[in-house]
Amino acid sequence: MSKKNTGDDIWKNNVEKIVKLFTLTYGSVVSQLCRDFQNNYYEVNQQLDKMGYNIGLRLIEEFLAKTGIKRCQSFKETADIITKLGFKIFLNIQPTIENWSNDGKSCSLIIPEPNPLTEFVELPITSDSKIGKELWYSQILCGVLRGALQMVQLDCDVNFIKDVLRGDDRTEMRLKLNKILKDEVPAGED
Amino acid sequence: MKVYSILILNKAGGLIYQNEISSGLNKLSANDYLVLAGTLHGVHAIGSKLSQSISTTNNLKNTEELNSIQNSNILSFGKALNPNNNKSGLQSIETDFFNLYNFQTVSGLKFIIITSPNDNFENFETSNEIFRKLYILYSDYVMKDPFYSLDMPIKSILFDKNVKELFR
Amino acid sequence: MSNSYYFTIIGTKDNPLYELEFSSFKNIPTTLPSNYIPGKSQFSQSTKELLPFIANSSLDIIEDLQFSTNLLNLGKIDQFYGLNINGYITQGSIKFIICYDSTKDESNSIKQFFQEINELYSKVLLNPFYNVNDAIISPDFDLKVKQLARKYL
Repeated sequence: MSKKNTGDDIWKNNVEKIVKLFTLTYGSVVSQLCRDFQNNYYEVNQQLDKMGYNIGLRLIEEFLAKTGIKRCQSFKETADIITKLGFKIFLNIQPTIENWSNDGKSCSLIIPEPNPLTEFVELPITSDSKIGKELWYSQILCGVLRGALQMVQLDCDVNFIKDVLRGDDRTEMRLKLNKILKDEVPAGED
Repeated sequence: MKVYSILILNKAGGLIYQNEISSGLNKLSANDYLVLAGTLHGVHAIGSKLSQSISTTNNLKNTEELNSIQNSNILSFGKALNPNNNKSGLQSIETDFFNLYNFQTVSGLKFIIITSPNDNFENFETSNEIFRKLYILYSDYVMKDPFYSLDMPIKSILFDKNVKELFR
Repeated sequence: MSNSYYFTIIGTKDNPLYELEFSSFKNIPTTLPSNYIPGKSQFSQSTKELLPFIANSSLDIIEDLQFSTNLLNLGKIDQFYGLNINGYITQGSIKFIICYDSTKDESNSIKQFFQEINELYSKVLLNPFYNVNDAIISPDFDLKVKQLARKYL
């Protein structure tokens, strides 16, 4: 049995055919948001984050249903599962984890290229130089992770610190565990 | 094993879905179903507290380790496991007239089925398989319905249809 | 003859989207001018000024032709003071025009060039921040057009 079977299979059956449509749809959403908010990119980032958050709240159920993942023991394990299984199932990419903080509560996820969200995207250059400094094009991913982790009682901060679109050397996301919402952990697990 | 009825509870113990798959049980009023759901939720939670004091700390550690091992198995062998996460709470009620099985997800959702009585041990496995399928249906047809708000009663016709299909 | 080319993309409202002047990398003239740089166009100053007008004046011809043929590549459509003019019209009625001062008819290689440009252009359209009839200012596009020019012309 090959290593990536679960992720690969679920991916192939569901998403491959519509990935292009998805990329384009996401692109129109972002550019429309930029227009709607008159190029206030902080606001655009926030909107994308919110959208992602609402997706994450829902998406986690599919993830749990289709993989049968149990509660993780450490945040390291969580990060491992997010990258190796979560990203694999939903985006067919596998980010690498780097830069663990000493307390083991925050780490960086390096999104491999090509980033499926940005396949056709180039940020406009001359018309508006602000965009390259303020817009986090793939911000929705942060929201998704935040929402999904919250549903399994992990309160996290997620944000981008580098993006290839901005001319950085790689796309890097920072994942930080604030606290485990112990009160909300459902009874009967241990 | 014949499935009479399905209940889905949100993480606060509120009934968000109830469906009579096949006849055999007396119908309860909507209010009674809510009470039933709340009671089961409570019994489940209290039950888990009871079992916590029964099991030694050693055992507790084992659950966590087991979780880890299972997770790494999923990663390395690529085979999905059953998403049931109900370890120490109320798992089943068996009577002469019906059996009741309880399933809980990591996010705190509960799926409960009431089936025909059967003292066959395999029932537990069968019920787990039913729960897995139900959970997938839920994740597809309820969670992906953009007009569904979380933790609210499920009124999706599509979900209804697919649940019926599952038990045909 | 210096084998220089003037390539331009014209939008649906006859607005210029992109232009590029270059000279052939394949047919390098035997007598090199003193300031020769490979790929730099050798149009005379007076021709240079005229090129946009020449390209735009061929738009009428393209518009006539587009209803009489269902081919995208329109081939050689006009001639002006020893300049050949080739045209191509995309499904979205974006026009590609090349003016070149070669004695040979290079329609075949230009056709290939146009086809690849069309593919490249459709990729530009996929960028969510690009709208039809915006000027194409992406340096990436520019680079790729130059690579194609080098490959085919």
